[in-house]
Amino acid sequence: MHPHTIPRVTIQDLRRIPAFETLPEDYLSTLAAVMVTRRYAPGQIIFLEGEQSQSLWFVLDGRVKIIKQSESGRVQGLCMMDRGKCFGSCPLFSMSHNPATAEALDNVTLCVIPADTVASLTKRDPKLVRVLTHIYSQRLQHLARVSEVLGAWTVGDRINDCLLTYASHADGAEGCVALTHERLAALAGTVREVVTRHLKRLEHHGVIRSESGRITILNRDALRPPCSRNESQLISM
Amino acid sequence: MVSGAILSDIKLAAELSPRTQRAIAEKAVQVDYMPGIELYQQGDPPSPLHMLLTGRVKLYRQSRDRCQILALPANGDSIGAESLPTGGTSPYAATTLTQVRALVISTVDLQVLLDELPDFQEAFLRLITERLKQFVTLVHDLAFRDVTSRLAMVLVARAEVEGRPQDGGVLFDRLLSQQEYADVVGTAREVVYRTFKRFEDDGLVSMTRRHILIRDLDTLRSIGQQESR
Repeated sequence: MHPHTIPRVTIQDLRRIPAFETLPEDYLSTLAAVMVTRRYAPGQIIFLEGEQSQSLWFVLDGRVKIIKQSESGRVQGLCMMDRGKCFGSCPLFSMSHNPATAEALDNVTLCVIPADTVASLTKRDPKLVRVLTHIYSQRLQHLARVSEVLGAWTVGDRINDCLLTYASHADGAEGCVALTHERLAALAGTVREVVTRHLKRLEHHGVIRSESGRITILNRDALRPPCSRNESQLISM
Repeated sequence: MVSGAILSDIKLAAELSPRTQRAIAEKAVQVDYMPGIELYQQGDPPSPLHMLLTGRVKLYRQSRDRCQILALPANGDSIGAESLPTGGTSPYAATTLTQVRALVISTVDLQVLLDELPDFQEAFLRLITERLKQFVTLVHDLAFRDVTSRLAMVLVARAEVEGRPQDGGVLFDRLLSQQEYADVVGTAREVVYRTFKRFEDDGLVSMTRRHILIRDLDTLRSIGQQESR
């Protein structure tokens, strides 16, 4: 299935992207003229790890998951990008191949700047370099945290963190997670059996309610990661 | 103010125009640090930029009693100010592992330089994306390689960058304690101890209190490249 392309991006679209907040109207208008909008259906691949990187992508609507895959097919979630976030390699330097795969999590609308356009825009005006520095600085902070999560957190903490990250608040104040145990395992860097055991323990402690294909979070505080919660809030496992 | 020539040893500044180098040199101050000095902490406001002339630093994140070492910058590398563009807090801490001599630029001066010098702004962006690439590789290794493979990879990388050819192999300074090697590969000290012991028993490495001698770099590299199933 090919992504649906809608050619026009408006200044109003770009105003919804935090990284562009400081850009003046005339620069936004220059950007809007060179960007295109694309739509993807849930599960559709936006780009694959290892492919030549061709664009810088901004989320206008929906959610995109960024994952890494091993040679044997194992999957590790890196992050989830929702409205206003940017993903894709820095088009100015040697990051010529995508370091990860991007997949639409639900119906997604993106706006895209082709890589060669980024290079020509930054030559004419350094404002975009400032925007890119902001974007990649944010990403650096996120990846430092992911490294800590994978290297220093327990599997239980990683699963809890995924539940908080992927919770949608559309159906209730506490949030619902519409992920299978298999997908949750891939995102948390573990196997399905471990996820199932951990969720049973959380349910036993009244932290979540698990129904088929849907997990309802009843106590968000009990799921908070180790760097942000009080020791006394830890669930005894 | 320092001499502009000294900046040719710093990757961040080496390719910049003479005018930009002069402007950086005017704002930089040379500082010496003893080993074990915390240059900045995780969660601090944006830290000054440190351009390392000599010595070694560890970048790490800490949660509860666990620590994950993210990188081991050396002379020529620049650290700090990673959160200046966002105005957020430092995403990790930096502590000296050895004596360090660095050129330091305050965040206020750095912001002025970045605003006024487009080539420096671009070099700073490159610095951030290079560190980002390192972290992507680290995440891949933590997710898909086991401890044996990760430790082998760390030793191979150090041998390739810092190793001195010796009789019977490639020698480099040990630099890190066993706990710190565990913090690099994301495991417990006992596991690293057992893995080093196995490497020694298999004739791949020899260790003294201060040095590590890689006896069989090719085998170690092939162990490092294996992904766990």
